[in-house]
Amino acid sequence: MSTWIAIAGVTGVVFLLRASFILFADPHGFPPLFRRALAYVPAAVLAAIVAPGLLMPAGSIDASLDNPRWIAGVIAIAAAAALRHPLGAIAVGLPALWLLQWAIG
Amino acid sequence: MLIGTMPFGFVAGVAAIAAGMSAAQGLALSMLSFSGIAQLIVAQLIAANSPVLVTIAAAFVVSLRFVMYSAALSPHLAHLDRRWRAALSFLMTDQSFALTVKRYGEGGDKRHRHWHFLGSALTLYVSWQAAVLVGIVMGANVPAAWSLDFAVVLSFIAILVPVVKTRANLAAALVAAAIALAAAGLPYHLALVVASIAGIGAGLGVEALHRRA
Repeated sequence: MSTWIAIAGVTGVVFLLRASFILFADPHGFPPLFRRALAYVPAAVLAAIVAPGLLMPAGSIDASLDNPRWIAGVIAIAAAAALRHPLGAIAVGLPALWLLQWAIG
Repeated sequence: MLIGTMPFGFVAGVAAIAAGMSAAQGLALSMLSFSGIAQLIVAQLIAANSPVLVTIAAAFVVSLRFVMYSAALSPHLAHLDRRWRAALSFLMTDQSFALTVKRYGEGGDKRHRHWHFLGSALTLYVSWQAAVLVGIVMGANVPAAWSLDFAVVLSFIAILVPVVKTRANLAAALVAAAIALAAAGLPYHLALVVASIAGIGAGLGVEALHRRA
């Protein structure tokens, strides 16, 4: 049941954010600082999700060579930057993780 | 653009099932929210047994970028009636935003370009749901050794890297990453919110320094 409530809530929140200016508000009525701040939302939010996903696989920071995830992540970041393709990070990062997991054992 | 999103849809479908959602719940989440990042973060939090409000708050934070898109598109759509604007809002994604902004940037008569927006968004909607459905159906049969949960992080990297084009965006990403790690002990996944705000502040700060220089 709580999963259905979460789905309903997420649906509402995502729609309201998408509709915010298209349906409800005039962007010219907001201070320029607000609009400038919005430009940094994607970089900040995504980095805040990615960093723990790479460096905290088990709840605490592990930047040792025993943690294949951050190494595979660095490889994936390099691949995404070099290949400039939306699939670059997955196509290179996932096999890199498998290889590292096999190597570390 | 279309082919690039298919694997994300597949991963989102697998993640929903792996998180313990039923097939109906996974499909409902996908059809109603139509947002890969929101679907993936919700799956992560439901898998971690997070409280409902925390799950909704996290979806709010990762979807804040839509406010930016909404502000950018609203002048082009202001002449449409409310039903049109509601439908286009519901269908707006990173991909259709990018296509639509490019299209409105071109010269010529712009009054009927919302049809183009609708067409590309509907195409994406249908193919996205198909990819999610394949992920949901196959979800239970994907072995744990494939570490498909890591594909979720990788798909965030795929979106993050092209965004970090300027020094200010790089500062936003680095500060947010550092704070997310430092604040990871905070309850209710508050680290995501705190880190995002710090990152946005860093981006604005670097931008201000750059202007003065």
